[in-house]
Amino acid sequence: MKAYRICAVTERVLRQLWHDRRVLVFMLVLPALAMLLFGYSFSGDITDIRVAFIDEDNTDLTTSILESLQADDAFDVTVLAAVDDPERLLFESGYQAVIRIPDKFTSLYYAHFAMGVATSAQGTIDLTLDESDPQIATTIKMGLADAAMDLGEGGPVEIDTRELYGVEVRFIDSFAPAIMGLVVALISTVLTLLSIVREKVDGTFSRIWVSPVRRAEFILGYVIAFGLVALVQSLVVLTIGKTVFDIVINGSIAWAFVCVILFAVGSVGLGTLLSALAQTESQAIIFFPLVILPSVLLSGMMWPIQAIPRLLRPLSYLVPLTYSNRLLRAVMVKGLTPWQEPVGFAGVLVFVFLTILLASGVLRQSAGERE
Amino acid sequence: MTERVPVFLAESLTKRFGLLRAVDDVSMSIEPSEIYGLVGPSGAGKTTLIRLLSGLTVPTDGAARLLGSPMPQERRAVEHRFGYMPQERAVYRDLSVAENLLFFGQIYGMSRVRIAQRTRELLGLMRLEDRGRQRADRLSGGEKQRLSLACTLLHEPDALLLDEPTIGLDPALRREFWDHFRELNGRGRTILLATHYLHEAEWCDRVGLMQWGQLIAEGTSERLKAEAAGRSGRERPDMEEVFLILTQASVAGGAS
Repeated sequence: MKAYRICAVTERVLRQLWHDRRVLVFMLVLPALAMLLFGYSFSGDITDIRVAFIDEDNTDLTTSILESLQADDAFDVTVLAAVDDPERLLFESGYQAVIRIPDKFTSLYYAHFAMGVATSAQGTIDLTLDESDPQIATTIKMGLADAAMDLGEGGPVEIDTRELYGVEVRFIDSFAPAIMGLVVALISTVLTLLSIVREKVDGTFSRIWVSPVRRAEFILGYVIAFGLVALVQSLVVLTIGKTVFDIVINGSIAWAFVCVILFAVGSVGLGTLLSALAQTESQAIIFFPLVILPSVLLSGMMWPIQAIPRLLRPLSYLVPLTYSNRLLRAVMVKGLTPWQEPVGFAGVLVFVFLTILLASGVLRQSAGERE
Repeated sequence: MTERVPVFLAESLTKRFGLLRAVDDVSMSIEPSEIYGLVGPSGAGKTTLIRLLSGLTVPTDGAARLLGSPMPQERRAVEHRFGYMPQERAVYRDLSVAENLLFFGQIYGMSRVRIAQRTRELLGLMRLEDRGRQRADRLSGGEKQRLSLACTLLHEPDALLLDEPTIGLDPALRREFWDHFRELNGRGRTILLATHYLHEAEWCDRVGLMQWGQLIAEGTSERLKAEAAGRSGRERPDMEEVFLILTQASVAGGAS
């Protein structure tokens, strides 16, 4: 094996990427776009739910509940005068919830605390709720509970929350590692696949196999080129994550890069493998959804694997991104080292060894036996 | 006196793809400094024969030797010494002319200085001087073909396997290619080329006529003409007639 031949292949692949401005833009814009699009649309924060607020009691306490609701981004609060039928208000005016604080709420609330739990009627807030969208309904319930908790007296309910890994982890924080994996997998697999199929179509493949270039050198050349690309893409994702979404990274970025590059290596292997199944570029395009769909749907990227029907769940464990997600989340969100997430780490390593090994065999095939 | 090893040698060389005998029991020997032309209709097995000799295809039976090394088993020993020009122009369309040459030089271990020097020489020879920075996919068909030939010649191989190097070229350009071939030949290079153009056969030292994977006739164009004349009673047939006469004779005689 000769380093200069590996470098020659790497240099050539990078030059090709550089010349194809569309690919270049795609490579850099895709991670940015994915991060922004997914980051905003899946951030899990629901905003601007229309809520009507009717205060029949009008005390400092009820005003503080209103203020607390108004301060919450989730709600667009309209204060209304007393009405007879909150349900009709909901139907006719398009509110998603009507919150009514009845007369004497405040006095009952304090009396309850003074007299002890079992002895008196508790102050109640009427909540009329549109349950047709469970996510919105849940947000309203939680928002109101939060507002009632903020009363300062400790409130009637005590919630004991334990937060692991130090900080509050938002959806976007655990999403950034998944985006990194997805983008790197897509670009490396798809571009390797296209590039090699193109070599077959154009006949440059034949030139390479009569030259001193070995199969291992050829694969390594591709691996290094796309490893570098993966590094740049990860930087784009992290920069946007940090500047736009202020994502929390608890772990070591160096380890994250090591893992991403490892995953890129496996993806180059996968692309090489798939190239054996396509003789033309249009045949190669058929494989794109095959790579993209399972990655997005089954890898636990958008929703946890536990949310995938039991019947389909075994498929999740065949998707490489599943392991990359576990690994990168462990490293970036939990701040672990790769071997502290053995399933993810082993999964990615197996992916790398298997694809590279098979890719090497596949290249021997397509190098030697073509009509 | 040193023994002259044939540059290309086929011994009962056979390649089957399923039921198809793409190359069927071909034996041939091409000596140093020869220009040998393979002619025959498309599908006759010329490309497969060339790929067998280059080590790209593994023979089903028989043996292929290049400069004495069995192919593909010992192709490592000779890989620096031969050049192969595939039928599909085989250049990177998204790289510039100079970058194509740079890559094919680098993988042969040539230094950047040497590559730059050879690039200047070859671009001059191929009249592509002002095309160095042009992307290959913006070249005309003829220019692309000249670039393809330049990529093959870059590392100065002794033995050349050229698969239809002149296909699709206009007559003037084709003559120019042949001037290159003769010039290379004059410097001791051995050339095995496949061609569609029958009159090109007359410019070769020897011609092999292929049909259905078999080498049905071989010799100088004069000899083939004489043979055809003998079989058909036709006086002074041209190469096209030679081709027709000999291939028909093979149909009549060799059906089994």
